[in-house]
Amino acid sequence: MLVHIDGPWSPLLGRLALSEIPYNNPILVGTFVFAALLAVILVGLVTYLGLWRTIWRDWLTSVDHKKIGIMYILIGLVMLFRGFMDAVMMRAQQAMADGPHSAGYMDSPHGYLTPYHFDQIYTAHGTIMILFAATPLLVGIMNILVPLQIGARDMAYPYLNAVSLWLTAAGAALVMASLFIGDFAHAGWFGIVPVMELPYSPGVGVDYWMWAFQLSSIGTTLGGINLLATIVKMRAPGMTWGRLPIFTWASLSANLISLSTFPVLSVALALLALDRYLGTHFYTAGLGGNLMLYNDLFWIWGHPEVYFVILPAFGMISEIIPTFSEKPLFGYLGMVLASLGIAGVSWGVWLHHFFTMAASPAVNAFFSITTMAVGIPTGVKVFNWAFTMFRGRLRFELPMMWASAALFYLLVGGLTGMMNAFTTNDYMVHNSVFVVAHFHMMLLLIVYAIFGGVNYWFPKVFGFRLEQRFGKIFFWLFTAGTAVVFIPMFTLGFMGMTRRLAYVAFPQWRPLLDIEVVGIVIYLLSAVFLVAQLYVSFRDRAQNRAGLDAWETSRSLEWMTHSPVPFYNFAVTPEVHARDERAWRVEHGVDTVRPERYEDIHMPRNTAIPLWLGALSFGLAFGLVWRMWWLTEVCGLAIFALIVIRSFDRDTDYTIPAADIERMERAIRDVPSGRPVVAGVRGAVPAFRQGV
Amino acid sequence: MTHTTDNAWEHPEVQLAGGGYIVAFVVGLALMGLSLWMVRGHVFAPTGLAVAISALAAVAAFVQCVLLLHMTVSRTQVWQTVALVLFIPLFVITIGLTSWMFHGLYRRTMMMPATHVARPATPTRPRGA
Ligand code: HEM
Ligand SMILES: [Cu+2]
Repeated sequence: MLVHIDGPWSPLLGRLALSEIPYNNPILVGTFVFAALLAVILVGLVTYLGLWRTIWRDWLTSVDHKKIGIMYILIGLVMLFRGFMDAVMMRAQQAMADGPHSAGYMDSPHGYLTPYHFDQIYTAHGTIMILFAATPLLVGIMNILVPLQIGARDMAYPYLNAVSLWLTAAGAALVMASLFIGDFAHAGWFGIVPVMELPYSPGVGVDYWMWAFQLSSIGTTLGGINLLATIVKMRAPGMTWGRLPIFTWASLSANLISLSTFPVLSVALALLALDRYLGTHFYTAGLGGNLMLYNDLFWIWGHPEVYFVILPAFGMISEIIPTFSEKPLFGYLGMVLASLGIAGVSWGVWLHHFFTMAASPAVNAFFSITTMAVGIPTGVKVFNWAFTMFRGRLRFELPMMWASAALFYLLVGGLTGMMNAFTTNDYMVHNSVFVVAHFHMMLLLIVYAIFGGVNYWFPKVFGFRLEQRFGKIFFWLFTAGTAVVFIPMFTLGFMGMTRRLAYVAFPQWRPLLDIEVVGIVIYLLSAVFLVAQLYVSFRDRAQNRAGLDAWETSRSLEWMTHSPVPFYNFAVTPEVHARDERAWRVEHGVDTVRPERYEDIHMPRNTAIPLWLGALSFGLAFGLVWRMWWLTEVCGLAIFALIVIRSFDRDTDYTIPAADIERMERAIRDVPSGRPVVAGVRGAVPAFRQGV
Repeated sequence: MTHTTDNAWEHPEVQLAGGGYIVAFVVGLALMGLSLWMVRGHVFAPTGLAVAISALAAVAAFVQCVLLLHMTVSRTQVWQTVALVLFIPLFVITIGLTSWMFHGLYRRTMMMPATHVARPATPTRPRGA
């Protein structure tokens, strides 16, 4: 039944052999030494500080939504760094391998990377940035914020939440493992069909890509279910749909997308797995297979996915702008409808990713129009943000800088997207670096929103503000790097440069490619200031302690509990009176009132089972990649057994007595939040005025 | 957490189940076996076969909706039904638009004799014969 594969195979190691370890590639050996050193230092440090117990008890086995969120964000940051290094390598290669006379190093005809290696790098870059950087960062932020914004104790399914985290971690680990054991796919992040079929990619690269993708897909689907159930069922009393904070609305629409489209991805990849393992013919060129079917299925997920990542970003921008404009959000209802509208339209536009596939003109025209229709709800949002700022008391602190700069990316990315949406235009620019520049504008918008969000909510989660001086230098350098990389890239796109070139044939393009390298160097430099910002913030954390409301003009529910948030979130589940509850309480002078009476709190208990499930899924996928059937079987059975065993566990929760809560609450000393009074209004603003 | 129970018997889904799950499982297996047999044995002409297995698939979906998901409009179950109803437009969009696209696509890209489309070309037959 299994497809026969040429080449060595042993029952114990499957296709794995010593020759699969790239010990003769200096780049990979260097990377390995770097990673190993980092690991040794970290392990040493943790041992020296005696932190193993804490890490195990408070983090790895935790089901606390805040800690899970932080771990998601850590995974996202590590993978962001990895993806960034891939980008540095690609830029360097294209600048070196330009023109027939360009020199070649390390067995490569031009530049320093062979085409085979270069192809793996861009595949890894795309896969990592979308699935293992942007998605975990945003899922992490939603994980932390949604329960806080709706006044819940935790997610609806805390255990499932940890399972999702560790599945994502297993996927990320699989991508990383492919660096040092075997190789990665060379068929592009979306799988160029039929290149990712077995006859054209007989190695393990595509298998690594496919199973890592699959793990993250399952993890994100489960996470989507969890967030939806949380928002629908766990809202605090008084939190009607009309009072739901706007970020929560954005998360709701985003997760409607993830729940309805990630399963399509899972099926698309499962069919590919059947092709590659059992020899079926879903996507083959002959024997009844259909290449286009893959493109179709992939992008049915792929386009909604881009909106899955952008909607939470929009949500963060919508929270940051009112706080630093000292005004309520303009057009709340419009914002909500626009989010749901974007989610709705996102299901009907996927074909714009393959306009050139030869569908009939009517089909292309239809999808061209639906694609342009996305601009309408997006435009509504932009105007709402603009009107929120209009005549506001604008404060350009770091979160606001990131959020308002994000709007520029939305403008550039959205307009170039509209250009791509014209089928006639797309026939010109499809597969050129113009498209690459377009979606990088969109993804940078997300990165900017994430940096804004991290700066904004950091004090809520950790109890102290991030330092702003280095932070601003980081912001400006990062922005300069973006301009210097992407303006030349748009230009090159217009000049006809296609994407994914390991060798650039035209020496005339050299100057622009060199400028892009300068941009990458600026990016690298900016990273130094990010590290400086984090270091200084941590060093001076005592001076930068934040009160309940770190920015003094925040509006939503999460700013009503302590910073850092205690593990039970709210000592007493808050009663919600208004859309901007915090602003409402400030205006009514009840923001510092402490509850008279505490109640028992019912909490989920920590468990190590999700961690084991993640580790076992890694083993399962690793066994599948290398066709080590015994490993696959052992891990598969163990996963099944663990799930069954866990279902008999009755001891999954506990209760904190009211007296303990009271004692803990009295021990917390909140830094007072300053609230200047202007024109007789506490909070110095028309603090409470429901959206116009 | 507003509502929780460790006792599986208290969940409405479980109480509703009765023997339904087993029946659904057996019926599902039977329907799948039947369609497999029909396809492997080519018991009908291709069009008839497509119609027949689609009908069987519809029956299987119905059985699952009723016996596994308990889609009724009762208070505890109505949300399952609502979820299905919300899913229908998606189904129409994705499957409908996809078939529309493929309908035109085949005429444009698969310019080959009908025999090749119906069954795999035999490699021994000389070109143009
Ligand atoms: C107004 C909104 C948008 C429009 C009209 C639009 C339009 C398009 C079109 C027509 C393409 C296909 C170009 C081609 O391959 O020839 C495209 C590609 C792409 N867009 Fe957008 N887009 C929009 C928003 C977004 C957003 C919000 C994101 C991500 C957050 C995004 C990410 C991408 C990606 C990743 C690709 C390329 C995928 C690939 O080929 O690898 N776009 N966009
Ligand atoms: Cu798209």
